[in-house]
Amino acid sequence: MTRPSPKIGVYGFTGCAGDQLMILNCEDQLVDLFGATEIRSFVMAKSDNHEGELDVAFVEGSISTEEQLKKVKEIRERSKVLVAIGTCACWGGPQAMKLEEGGYEERYKKVYGNAKIAVSKAFEAQPVDAFVKVDLKIPGCPIDKAEFLKVVTKVVAGRHPYLNKSPVCLECKWKENTCMLNEGRFCAGPLTKCGCGAICPSHNIPCVGCWGPTDDLNVSAEYKLLKEKGYKPEEIMTKIKKFGGAGVAKLVKDLEKPKEAKK
Amino acid sequence: MSRELNVEALARVEGDGGITVTLDGKKVKSVTLDVHEGPRLIEQLVRGMTPADDLNVIPRICAICTLSHRYAALRGLEKALGITPPEKTQLTRELMMLGENVESNSLHTFLLALPDFLGYPSAVAMLNDYGDDVKRALRLKKFGNHVMEVTSGRIVHGENPIIGGFGKYPSRKQLDEIRVKAQELVPDAVRDVELFASLEYPAYSEAPMVFMSVNGLKKKYGFAGDSILISNGKEVSCEDYKKLTNERVVSHSFAKRSLYADKPFTVGANARMVNMGKRLDGQAADMFKEHFNDRWLTNPLYNNLAQAIEMLWSLEHLPEACEAVAAMDDPKIAQPTRLTGSGTGAVEAPRGTLYHHYEIKDGLIDVADIITPTAQNLDDIERHMKLTAEKMLAEGKSDPEVRLGLEMVARAYDPCISCATHLVRLKRV
Repeated sequence: MTRPSPKIGVYGFTGCAGDQLMILNCEDQLVDLFGATEIRSFVMAKSDNHEGELDVAFVEGSISTEEQLKKVKEIRERSKVLVAIGTCACWGGPQAMKLEEGGYEERYKKVYGNAKIAVSKAFEAQPVDAFVKVDLKIPGCPIDKAEFLKVVTKVVAGRHPYLNKSPVCLECKWKENTCMLNEGRFCAGPLTKCGCGAICPSHNIPCVGCWGPTDDLNVSAEYKLLKEKGYKPEEIMTKIKKFGGAGVAKLVKDLEKPKEAKK
Repeated sequence: MSRELNVEALARVEGDGGITVTLDGKKVKSVTLDVHEGPRLIEQLVRGMTPADDLNVIPRICAICTLSHRYAALRGLEKALGITPPEKTQLTRELMMLGENVESNSLHTFLLALPDFLGYPSAVAMLNDYGDDVKRALRLKKFGNHVMEVTSGRIVHGENPIIGGFGKYPSRKQLDEIRVKAQELVPDAVRDVELFASLEYPAYSEAPMVFMSVNGLKKKYGFAGDSILISNGKEVSCEDYKKLTNERVVSHSFAKRSLYADKPFTVGANARMVNMGKRLDGQAADMFKEHFNDRWLTNPLYNNLAQAIEMLWSLEHLPEACEAVAAMDDPKIAQPTRLTGSGTGAVEAPRGTLYHHYEIKDGLIDVADIITPTAQNLDDIERHMKLTAEKMLAEGKSDPEVRLGLEMVARAYDPCISCATHLVRLKRV
């Protein structure tokens, strides 16, 4: 007896489509993936899409319009498992870097003027779990192919996959890279979830933080360290918030106020 | 009686868009390519950042042409900061662009565009009947990705190309592997050109077109340049990009936007072939001579064939690009000579000319202005879709046939809707 193929949907919201592209970049497994599952909807890859009940929905991108909000709620209702893929879906992405600062309306006006956009009302981008329940988060900018395939095979079998919990520093140690913070360079590694293989430090470039915040991150320790190394508070904040989005918004707010007030 | 004919979610393109055709009786009132993709306001978010921080964020505008965005940003930022990148840096950037071209053109021609011509909903659905072709395309795409990974550090959003240089240059071993593999894949790319040359390109949308592309560096065929060629024979400095792209009339209508010299224009592989095709060499030149004809000047669907020929050219040029990079010692990272200045970078993304303009004040970004190829193409996409709708309806084609005809025109432009999202501004300010 064969089990029915799991029904899968892949959706994209506000972002760069890089995570959906990474699925298409699984060149060696793409044919098997389409064969072993029933891909009901994947607008970027095919035109015969059917919106119905799903075993697993993979959702890329942040939510930034009323229309998207409606759609993501509707996807949630008909999916047994919802997986957020990529830093935008998990944390809001670069477009959510000023979440705790406000000023969205002003920035919006600078780009679009006073014109009314008929398409849909837009608001500051937020991660998917700001609006609906997310069962699993696969961070990454973009996601890693191997991690995505690992999660797909586990989730369609009804199992819970192991997901990375450590910061990039762990992978840097494995690669025997020299610590850039020790050299006084601004590295976001201690704050950032591992999984990329410490690519940037391995290319002699400090981690930019694109996989978003790691579990149990210690923002205040990094902030203090970098200040000691001579970095300006504004520059530290920019770098921490660049990809941290909703994951650091609150931490940064708590951090900035009392310390900056004393100065 | 008026009615609408909709393609709600345009499939097999990057980003969230749709097509709306408004009909008044049998007359086509308007055809619009609608963009539903949410705004990100990235040009505003990077204000106040250091150029290095800007360079982390800006390529995230688009995953498919991430390296084009990075290269355009680098060219703009380095001009503003008074940096001349070392020769090895320049050559390695050209190498990465060849990789992106192979990756993006194979993805678009095979996975996104070809299923329409052969009557399938997706490339995967073509496997039973066209297995060899699909697998050949996936091999090419994977190789393009590999070149991007080796040069930029990652398949998508690699951070290795930095201001003034590279974090780490590819090793001789990596370059040798690319050189050998590229030579192996040339026959595959030749077969692709033959396949795309054998397709029937419907004539519904044919009308005279204006094409723009960069004038390749050193007057060669290429993906970066300091001036823009227009198919009417003019040449304009890329610093004057606003004159080429932003002369847009104020309008409350979705369908009308401003034009260059009273005409919509097209950017992309077909534009590059029209403007620089005579500079091609190798088998790509032979293929170009064999297949280029006057219909290319009127029919946007030929962009598919142009991309296939260009992919062959890129593969043929990869070996010498690898050798040139491997022959040089790693230079030091070039440093800024000033902290206040402005500059515009123009590069050819696979889907057309991309401009990044920066104004930097005391080491921080003051203005960032990005004009994407899809934003430039929109007027012409709509013009050709309207022609298609008019002719197909006049011939009594069914709604599904008309929809497919319109989607084929839109897809031929290889639109990147994530990139073009802020084009809404162009419609309405």
